[in-house]
Amino acid sequence: MTTLDKQRATFLPGHDRLSFAGVVRSEFIKLTSLRSSVALLLAIIVLGLGVSVALGLTLADAGVPEEGSVGFMLDQVTIGTVLFGQIIAGVLGVLVISGEYSSGTIQSTLIAAPARMTVLGAKAIVLFITTTASALVALFGSWAVTHPMLAEFGIEIGVTAPGVLFAFLGGAVYVGLAAVLGLGIGTVLRSVAAGVATVISLILLLPIVLSVLPASSLVRNFHLLSMSKAGDAMVSAADAGGGFIDLTDGFVSPGAGWLIAAVWAAGFLGLGAIQLRRKDA
Amino acid sequence: MIEARTLTKRYGHRTAVDAIDFTVVPGRVTGFLGPNGAGKSTTMRMIVGLDRPTSGRVEVNGRAYPEHRAPLHEVGVLLDAKAAHGGRSAYKHLLSIAATHGIGAARVREVIGLAGLDSVAGKRVGGFSLGMGQRLGIAAALIGDPATIILDEPVNGLDPEGVRWVRTLMRSLAAEGRTVLLSSHLMSEMAQTADRLIVIGRGRILAEGAIGDIISGATSSAVRVRTRQAELLAATVAGPGVVISAPVDGVIEIAGMTAEQVALAASAAGVVLHEITSLTGSLEEAYLALTAGEVEYRSSNSAPTGAHK
Repeated sequence: MTTLDKQRATFLPGHDRLSFAGVVRSEFIKLTSLRSSVALLLAIIVLGLGVSVALGLTLADAGVPEEGSVGFMLDQVTIGTVLFGQIIAGVLGVLVISGEYSSGTIQSTLIAAPARMTVLGAKAIVLFITTTASALVALFGSWAVTHPMLAEFGIEIGVTAPGVLFAFLGGAVYVGLAAVLGLGIGTVLRSVAAGVATVISLILLLPIVLSVLPASSLVRNFHLLSMSKAGDAMVSAADAGGGFIDLTDGFVSPGAGWLIAAVWAAGFLGLGAIQLRRKDA
Repeated sequence: MIEARTLTKRYGHRTAVDAIDFTVVPGRVTGFLGPNGAGKSTTMRMIVGLDRPTSGRVEVNGRAYPEHRAPLHEVGVLLDAKAAHGGRSAYKHLLSIAATHGIGAARVREVIGLAGLDSVAGKRVGGFSLGMGQRLGIAAALIGDPATIILDEPVNGLDPEGVRWVRTLMRSLAAEGRTVLLSSHLMSEMAQTADRLIVIGRGRILAEGAIGDIISGATSSAVRVRTRQAELLAATVAGPGVVISAPVDGVIEIAGMTAEQVALAASAAGVVLHEITSLTGSLEEAYLALTAGEVEYRSSNSAPTGAHK
């Protein structure tokens, strides 16, 4: 009976109970206890920095504009983090849920936390925070390593220059939203392979397909409403002018980019929520 | 306490669980028996809310499982030994489950010790044997110190020491007043562990009650007698409701009478008995009798006669 006496010793009825904070903590433990997901978070930083360093080292060959603008600096610093970060975060988002279906962990998860919307919400929060944080590290790191290289060409733009911090925040939030988009797709499809293929197609292929459609320029400009074009807008310089959004002129402001990316992420998360609520686990 | 009322699950046209009613009471080990595909796992999944019933209800301790404030404190469940990501350590897997309820690391280490997993707690689950996976699943089921424990085939893949550990654990959990429901296809294991049985076949309850009642209800008991005066004895005990087998080497089997009645009759008729044995049915016989015709998957060589009609 000693084992069973001990068994009751640490449990405090009425004290330990299911809570949203607990489920968030559980999801954080799950994310950080898998080498694959930690590796993907690190990859956002490594690839973001790597692309910026490569661009910095080839500045002389690539050519530098006469007057170094904030927009030029932002292109140099953010392109690696946004390009690779959106794909890596999207894949991580798919894996976080479809990996549970393929391994059977979803059973343990939903038995411990039977409120399915709580589980999905906790997953979305943990994914968004970790991927956004990784992208922020990548962006500020990229600025730090790129700054001296740009300075050699007379371009010295600090992070406090107008629009820079907002663009960095936009880039990081975009990567976080791509992860949430992946989570939504993974929840709908439940399969690692199908989810990864879908999230990559949606982010990389959709804007290309839309822009080559044999239709009027207005229809072709619908590609500006795609997820990855929203990301481009979110890291662009804020004072470019042109209003909020203009499809005929092909202009999307950073603010419109935030809105479009958020709608994509929320839309797929919503589809995932409907599936998760309706279907048996 | 688990109570199911007209619990039904249909997948398209196939009815997996067909309006079943049952009650699993505290303080007893209840065995859930049935052939493959009978609806055992589906029923267990509905109890903890993984699958939604097509109609009907199942409640645990008076509420549907997801409506409890601390579900892990109400029910501990092992459905699938490998319901853990292979890339995660056993400790982190259990810690992630405990975290949902704010249960601390001390309790996690305790259930690891209880399940005998101390030496492998830091190792990744992917390298675990089926037996270690079962122990991990049982550890997960016990994290919340649950009032009700549900285990699906818990001794699958366990070595004899592990089988005995599960049996002792189930019995002591029931002795503490907890509700224990376990399924197993191992008849001898069930006979040793369970007090009560729910027998299910093709989604319907075939029998429910104390294990002894189910055996005596589903099998015929008889008395085996060895005597040199078999024919005289047969003539003596013959009567309505008594079935007597033809003597083989002086052995006859008499159904419909107790050993005491047979011995008294023999004594009165001056028949000398060399051996008298009460034959009671086994759980296996009872089970096969109950599930005859309810089996979804049956190998053809199990019925060598009359297979080609």
